[in-house]
Amino acid sequence: MQRPWLVQYPAGIPAEVDFRRYASLKEMFAASCARFAELPAYSSMGTVMTYRQLDEASRAFAAWLQNSAGLKRGDRVALMMPNLLQYPVALFGVLRAGMVVVNTNPLYTPRELEHQLNDSGAKVIVVLENFAHTVQEVIAATGVRTVVTTEVGDLLPPIKRALTNTVVKHVRKLVPPWQLPGAVPFGSALAAGRAQHFDEPTLTREDLAFLQYTGGTTGVAKGTMLTHGNMVANVLQVAAWVAPNLIDGEETLVIPLPLYHVFALTACLSFVLKGAQTVLIANPRDLRTFLHVLRHTRFTAIIGVNTLFRALLDAPGFAEVDLRHLKIAVAGGMAVQRAVAQRWKQRVGIPLIEGYGLTETSPVAIANPITIAEWSGQIGVPIPSTEAAILDDDGAPVALGQVGEICLRGPQAMKGYWNRPEETAKVFTADGWLRTGDMGVMDERGGIRITDRKKDMIIVSGFKVFPNEIEDVVTMHPGVLEAGAIGVPDARSGEAVKVVVVRKDPTLTEAALLEHCKQHLTGYKLPRIVEFPAEPLPKTNIGKILRRALRDSPPIARVQAASAVAA
Amino acid sequence: MVTLRSIVETDAAEIVQAFERLSAASRYYRFGQHKKHLSGAALERGVHPRPGRDFVFVATTPAADGIDIVGAAQYVPAEERSDKTCEFAITVAEDWRCSGLGTRLLASLLRRARRDGYEVMEGWVLAENAPMRALARKLGFKIEPAPEDATMVLAQRTLQATRGAKVTPRSPRGPARRGATACRCCVRGVRR
Repeated sequence: MQRPWLVQYPAGIPAEVDFRRYASLKEMFAASCARFAELPAYSSMGTVMTYRQLDEASRAFAAWLQNSAGLKRGDRVALMMPNLLQYPVALFGVLRAGMVVVNTNPLYTPRELEHQLNDSGAKVIVVLENFAHTVQEVIAATGVRTVVTTEVGDLLPPIKRALTNTVVKHVRKLVPPWQLPGAVPFGSALAAGRAQHFDEPTLTREDLAFLQYTGGTTGVAKGTMLTHGNMVANVLQVAAWVAPNLIDGEETLVIPLPLYHVFALTACLSFVLKGAQTVLIANPRDLRTFLHVLRHTRFTAIIGVNTLFRALLDAPGFAEVDLRHLKIAVAGGMAVQRAVAQRWKQRVGIPLIEGYGLTETSPVAIANPITIAEWSGQIGVPIPSTEAAILDDDGAPVALGQVGEICLRGPQAMKGYWNRPEETAKVFTADGWLRTGDMGVMDERGGIRITDRKKDMIIVSGFKVFPNEIEDVVTMHPGVLEAGAIGVPDARSGEAVKVVVVRKDPTLTEAALLEHCKQHLTGYKLPRIVEFPAEPLPKTNIGKILRRALRDSPPIARVQAASAVAA
Repeated sequence: MVTLRSIVETDAAEIVQAFERLSAASRYYRFGQHKKHLSGAALERGVHPRPGRDFVFVATTPAADGIDIVGAAQYVPAEERSDKTCEFAITVAEDWRCSGLGTRLLASLLRRARRDGYEVMEGWVLAENAPMRALARKLGFKIEPAPEDATMVLAQRTLQATRGAKVTPRSPRGPARRGATACRCCVRGVRR
């Protein structure tokens, strides 16, 4: 197949990567640990963990999983933590034991958590104490046999650990009471594992590494099966793409995006490949602390989403951050706005490199060359060993310059959806192209621009939200007759969720409805705009909702808060 | 095994059961929104099609309580004043996908609409509903994106007797095996 985009590859970027170089992430990790042993691998809250320490701790966790938790190769382990040192320890522990990581948003509501645990069949969950109360609510209805709990400061040096945990629990009161009989503290698991025998499995490209959950019109999340082969390929592809300026063993990456999101995950793994130090930011919304870390870190790389880069540019404290050593800044997850790209370039001196992909492609498939001078308005070109095509309904290529569906092919494309063969079949064409659900055009130099989205989905600060799920939750409320959820443009988050709600109970308030939603939907899924129209939702004669009419409907009779309602 | 016939009032209970058996995704595709229940009013209208203007086919199979409804196809006038254009919708039970039932239902609906004097049949389809798009194209519908909304397309075809694809519906093959996705409607990917 023709690859017109190769002309845009900067000098030194190969058309192909040898994605068979490592048979598994385990192998890649072992190579990095051996090569970069004494160098810092991760840093969090001022504490550094070297590759050697990470190797040793993850091996202990792997041994514990095999011996104490009784897990076998292929078993799923849920990780439910923000960015802390415990995360890479657990991550590499699970992977090297040949088990499968199920990344789980710590802010999930019980409803969302229960679904994911049951769908994945996870037998063990590692959860930060702050969120153990959520696990407690659902655990009896899942197949989880063992809970490992960890406190924020668990992997910090003893005094810092004690101080941090005390502050989190007793001063800032961030740990709602929880009770999980039989829960194993993370530190105890590591201690036990250090004394246990670890049976090293030999993993192949076909072995599953991750079940990475993503939503859809099904209304419930599906597990994307990402194999070791998928992940190794994408790690190598990403590393090759950003490589020219990066030196093995000398880079420092700041990761403010959650590692349970596949973009941060793969970026992180690419930098492990290169022996970089990764600085973990646990809560990027705590801008003060985030900026403090930036001011005191000599960092050479950073990833983020448009929302985050904009927030940094707007923050007064950003002016004091030393950006002279920054070599690369990568944006993914959502469209980069021209204004943000221009402001960044002006302030920082290097461009924001926008990339594109899906959970289903591990995720990176398309990216702007790192040599771009300014915002291109494109998502870029296919990265090494990746193909993109603009296809029509029948899976045939459209004429150059015509709009069609962006489709992808490459070693990073997922194996399929966990236990959903029909869904898997629907997303691939007969020739093995993965349908992205995004409409776009390719120019004669292989550059790709998104024109619209076919998938009925809303992207809030890089997180994907599906109307079917929002409408499901909203219509659970007894005061609601029906509802339609739609995305509307938002300067800060790219898009926001708007829900148009026809009430059964005319006294239902926006506040009450949002309280209800908060019980069942994690933060980014919450409607930002609620409208209560006086009439039923606009439908065709046969009863189909005209979804675009939901977007354009003028605010009708927005109801005031509960104070107006009689007791 | 499967019988196609026009709907009767006493089908109401079976229609409700058929709706309950549909997946959340299928209901979302059919109604363009999340739907937990059929409203009483919608059900009433559905089992009382107005002769000459509306029509509803149901596909039934024998069941312990008499019949199960495993598919339905219907049309209504697209606009109240129009007697030339009808709007259609079609639903097939989850385990009857890829059995040829959808083709048979839609082909029968086209013939029926022609007899009622309609000249155009159209329907809104969620853009990502690939099997429905494929079915519509197979039966001669043109697919156009909705203006300023890539998440929906309009499937439309004229009902002149001389135009459109000639389709000979096969008798349905029976419920597909769970997970079987070998038909063209679902366009299975080739695995590397």
